[in-house]
Amino acid sequence: MAPVPPWVKKLRPAEPLGSQLLDAERAKSSIPVDKLTLFLYGQEFIDIKAKILKILQAEPLFDKSQNYFQGRVERWEKSLARAKRLRQLAVEHDWSLEDHNVAVDLIAEPIPYMLHGTMFLLTLFSQCSDEQGAKYFMRAMDYKIIGCYAQTELGHGSNVKGLETTATWNSDDKTFTIHSPTLTASKWWIGTLGRTANHAVVMAQLIVNGKNHGPHPFIVKIRDMKTHQPLENIHVGDVGPKIGYNTMDNGFLLFNNHKVPHEAMLAKFSSVDPETNQYVPPKSAAQVYGTMTWVRSTIVWQSGGYLARGVTIAVRYCAVRRQFKDEEAPDSQKGETQVLDYSMVAYRLLPLLAACYALHFTGKIMMDMYQQKQGLLTDSTSKQEQEFAIAELADLHATSCGLKSLASTTTADGLETSRRACGGHGYSSFSGIGDVSTNYLPNVTWEGDNYMLTQQVARYLIKTARSVMDGAPITNDTTKIFSYYQSRAEIGAAFDVLGSDTDLVAAFAWRSAYLSFDAMRQRDEAKKPWNDLLVDFYRLSKAHSQYFIVKNFYDTLVTEDPENALDDDTKGIMYLLFRLYALHTLESEANEFFTSSALTVHQITLCRATVMRLLKEIRPHAVTLVDAWDFPDFQLDSSLGRKDGDVYSDMFYRASELNPLNDLTADPYPDSPVIVKSRL
Amino acid sequence: MPDFTDSLKPQYDGQAILEAERNRSPIQVHELSKHLLSRNNFLERQSKIVSILQNDPLFSKRNQLNMSRPDRFHVGLARNKKLRRLAKQYAWDLEDYKMAEYLTDEMSPYHLQHGMFATSVFQQSSDEQRAEWLPAVRDFKVLGCYAQTELGHGSNVRGVEATATYDLKAQQWVLHSPTLTASKWWNGALGRVATHAVVIAQLQIPKKEGTGYDSHGPHQFLCRIRDEKTHQPLDGIVIGDIGPKYGYASMDNGYMLFDNFRIPHSALLCRYSKVDPKTGAFQRQGHPAIVYGTLTATRGAIILNARLVLARAVTIAIRYTSIRRQFQDRDAETSSQEVAVLDYPTVQIRLLPLLATSLALHYTGEAVSDHFKKSAAKIENGDFSALAEMHALSSGLKSLCTQYAADGIETCRRSMGGHGFHGASGLVGINSDYLSKPTVEGDNWMITQQVASYLIKKMDEVVTNTAGKSKDTVVGQFQSFLTAKKPFYTLFQGSEINAKEILNAFEWRSAYLSHEAYQARIVQKKSWTSLLIQLHKLSRAYSEMVLVTNFFNAIQSSNLSIETAKVIEQCFYLYALYTIDNDPRSFSTTGAVADASMDALPDHILDIMSQIRPHAVKLVDAWAIPDYLLNSALGRYDGKVYEDLFHRAHHENPLNKTTFNPHWEDEEIVLGSGDGGKILSKL
Repeated sequence: MAPVPPWVKKLRPAEPLGSQLLDAERAKSSIPVDKLTLFLYGQEFIDIKAKILKILQAEPLFDKSQNYFQGRVERWEKSLARAKRLRQLAVEHDWSLEDHNVAVDLIAEPIPYMLHGTMFLLTLFSQCSDEQGAKYFMRAMDYKIIGCYAQTELGHGSNVKGLETTATWNSDDKTFTIHSPTLTASKWWIGTLGRTANHAVVMAQLIVNGKNHGPHPFIVKIRDMKTHQPLENIHVGDVGPKIGYNTMDNGFLLFNNHKVPHEAMLAKFSSVDPETNQYVPPKSAAQVYGTMTWVRSTIVWQSGGYLARGVTIAVRYCAVRRQFKDEEAPDSQKGETQVLDYSMVAYRLLPLLAACYALHFTGKIMMDMYQQKQGLLTDSTSKQEQEFAIAELADLHATSCGLKSLASTTTADGLETSRRACGGHGYSSFSGIGDVSTNYLPNVTWEGDNYMLTQQVARYLIKTARSVMDGAPITNDTTKIFSYYQSRAEIGAAFDVLGSDTDLVAAFAWRSAYLSFDAMRQRDEAKKPWNDLLVDFYRLSKAHSQYFIVKNFYDTLVTEDPENALDDDTKGIMYLLFRLYALHTLESEANEFFTSSALTVHQITLCRATVMRLLKEIRPHAVTLVDAWDFPDFQLDSSLGRKDGDVYSDMFYRASELNPLNDLTADPYPDSPVIVKSRL
Repeated sequence: MPDFTDSLKPQYDGQAILEAERNRSPIQVHELSKHLLSRNNFLERQSKIVSILQNDPLFSKRNQLNMSRPDRFHVGLARNKKLRRLAKQYAWDLEDYKMAEYLTDEMSPYHLQHGMFATSVFQQSSDEQRAEWLPAVRDFKVLGCYAQTELGHGSNVRGVEATATYDLKAQQWVLHSPTLTASKWWNGALGRVATHAVVIAQLQIPKKEGTGYDSHGPHQFLCRIRDEKTHQPLDGIVIGDIGPKYGYASMDNGYMLFDNFRIPHSALLCRYSKVDPKTGAFQRQGHPAIVYGTLTATRGAIILNARLVLARAVTIAIRYTSIRRQFQDRDAETSSQEVAVLDYPTVQIRLLPLLATSLALHYTGEAVSDHFKKSAAKIENGDFSALAEMHALSSGLKSLCTQYAADGIETCRRSMGGHGFHGASGLVGINSDYLSKPTVEGDNWMITQQVASYLIKKMDEVVTNTAGKSKDTVVGQFQSFLTAKKPFYTLFQGSEINAKEILNAFEWRSAYLSHEAYQARIVQKKSWTSLLIQLHKLSRAYSEMVLVTNFFNAIQSSNLSIETAKVIEQCFYLYALYTIDNDPRSFSTTGAVADASMDALPDHILDIMSQIRPHAVKLVDAWAIPDYLLNSALGRYDGKVYEDLFHRAHHENPLNKTTFNPHWEDEEIVLGSGDGGKILSKL
């Protein structure tokens, strides 16, 4: 860069400065930010984050200042270097898995080792026989082999049964032949596969004696351990640039009749007996659900935090940014109005702020439930207890599908809403929202497309509605709310949603039950084709998931947690957020609340007025409520969302002193073929 | 390099599937294309230009998404230069040139030359100034940019901080940036390319007596900013590129600061404001709102563009979801084939209303551009009576249409499942480039106030009977609204849909909400800020009414063949009914639509979608978007989706040319290169 002249160095942003505005915001809110942070994360996590952040910030390799300027190949190479350094640090400091995850979160880019550390290790851990565990899992734990999880194909996503890759058992030499019969059978999208992995867990249709037993996992060495070149008859590479996630080498993989030994099939649950050449099937199907439920619950749990990054940036910037003068504002507000004071900015951002909290609490409850139920599936519990746990896991599986769909859609859309709320500057990479947003986007289509997935919820709810109609006993929350609905079907119900928080939750339960019974009748009585009902199912799944989120938000607030208790003032503000989330959702879905006779038109009109009042009540706390998420500036990498509010100086600094484009002087005239006249 | 993958075929033959789709619909694609794209010889122009560009290696798009920003800019500038030379070589007119820009599909430095820069020089210059500047602008001797927005100031022009102070003695203007937030910011072509700029600054003249200045608000000044020879910024100016953005990689949006930089008296563009060089006397002539004229014209172009952008996204999504198969039908007999994704109503409800929306935007775009043309001529002749309505209409439509398109691209992308995330979807560039539109040229949420305030004013005139003989259409609507009771229109008789009643319902809702806003503001005197959300909804309702009306009028006078006209009519119903279903409460509480009709909506929508479905591929074919522009494996005309996806990954991907060292203990990144530790120099 050309040196910045002294007269530019001297310039300051116009008053009032961003730091003054944010100071004032923080002074006018009574919320003790540290306490609220503790309530969100717990002390252990906060300590880990502080420890890891210190280490990362001291490492030059994790300096982010050129991230936004570089091309795909450069960024990927740098990310591999970061992944390596991260692993070295993990060994050096003896990091736990959680320590490592926190580090990745702070770096805030998907690193090439990521799928090795998650899906590859997880699959080996849960699917290896004991001998396989010793051979593969332990070496993978030490990064002696580097792997990926190869399920989806060029022509096949969510529908695992449709996979085309085959693994055919050869009884003569006791091997499997892995083969890709068509182009669409190519493995595709597989993270860490493109350039990094030397092993892959490959999902392939198992064929024994001509019979197809469905998809099964195989561990396959794909690259030479020395030269890192693909083995013969294996064709592997990176799939190319994407809308986001460009620091990850998502890969493709094709097999041309590639032979692997008997031990390649991961044999914890099912196997091929080499003596008899017979297929040995698994004892229970629940284990397969297990991983998917865990993955989806994780998406739900993380959605709140991802959304909070965008909302943090937007709320801080909208408190700093001022535009137009509100002619009717009191004299105490001089000059242009803070953008966050405009009701239509608050109307877009504050419900999202409430959604961050709502999603976070629901995710936490789901993860706890999963761990608790999964914990019952051990040898030390009785058979009855295990069956009970498996039934509950099936319940959780359905819930996780609906919530995954709703939560990731809310976050993906919410990030873009936050970006647009920043006005023109939201379009600059320095806003910091762009990368979060584009890296987040695969969540809406992966691990079950957000629309396709909702069928599973509907199927489960319709089944439950049928059983309740047939007089089944109350065994869980869904049967409980359905039974209540059934008992009031002829009497009707009235919910005082503005006077009572429990009624507010109950109105969401009523709507979900109404839509479930309605779907059941469409299917059983009107005999409508499944396909024609998919749009209804989507709405049903959304309604049920919204109920679940509203209920969990409320439960979190009424449950006393003596360790991380909130003071009454802050608790009061959390109740405002709860009501804002619930009533804003209710207002957006007003038609269904009306059709299901949960509410009258007059009540709905009053809800809208209440939402506007809640926005006003929450507004003074907006900045402290985002501060509580405690994102370090290092993680946000944003000019607009800086904690100190020094938005404009930082924008200008990045543009004028970090920007490599300014090193070149262009020849601008069309008739001259010269592009660059000179370079610094 | 040949390998075993060369002989592999996909499981499903996309080419055969699209052929079958095309064979089962009677729509005459060419007829419909001509119907949609005849304005300014669009179709002929497109095929003429595309044949030149797609054979020129400089315009190949294959490696674009892998490039770093400086490289993208580099290529962008090279392409711009080439375009200019091609324009000379083939004697392109301005429309040809714009077509070429549209087909290359990137926002590059020269874009502003014909756009904001030239328009603004033309509109604001006196006749002498036009004679002095316009030829040089036309010949690209003067390369310009339009420097209005600042680091701390966007939509609010009155808030700009840069000042232009008149020095009476020297007869010069002194441009100055008093703070950091006064830095010009976002201005396209400024960063690395422009030699000149139209600078918007607060015009100040020293008071006749005493100290201080008389301030006359923002004005436009045209001046040189870089040296003619070295292309370095002139003394007293600091300029640069503002850095990477969500999209617009090849555009050098810039920043610029002035340190008491002097320019001649003649730099003030003085068609509407004059300053006497000797006395400093300031004089306005003409309509002050004319400063917004440039902005309004740009908005018109944005609306027209929105339809093609949306059509492009829909084209890709419809073709790919016709080919893509997933899961078997749950009600089907065993062992049937997987279902085409577009046959799922959950996919249809996302894509087919957007297909209908692209047509809705088209008919309104046509109607409005005629309207703008007429009004612009009037303003040029000093008649400003049309300006208020034009500005209001353009604001509401800009907000709604760009939101449709921006959200629609992302909806299309997600409807394609995982592959929509891939660069080869063809939606990555368009998505991130188009996302500037909802906030550029007036933020979509802020500018809806302009429509609302116009409607409230009109309602006030009608209520107080002071509208006189106004020819505005809303006046008539408001007058009949005030004398009627809630109509609760019935939209359906059995399976029949009543188009006229749909139209009535939209008009009623718009008038009702206008009246509600009028009540709140004028009668109850509520504060403006407290009403903003309500006003935003009003703007949307009004603009939707405009879209439905223009669509309705177009199908009344359609000269398409019967089968095609029938499908277009279904699209009208789909757009209108889907819009109602999206905001059902505002149609029922205003009394616009009867409850029974509201209840019947979802079934009618499903039914219409099933009727449009067989024609979906041909309907998007009619938008005639060339493969070169689509640049999409998923949306290719010939349906060779999987072949192309694989080809791009396997043969065109530079990452696959390098073998990396994956082991964490080794600092080396590229295997065998010994580059351990060198990566730090790239940080």
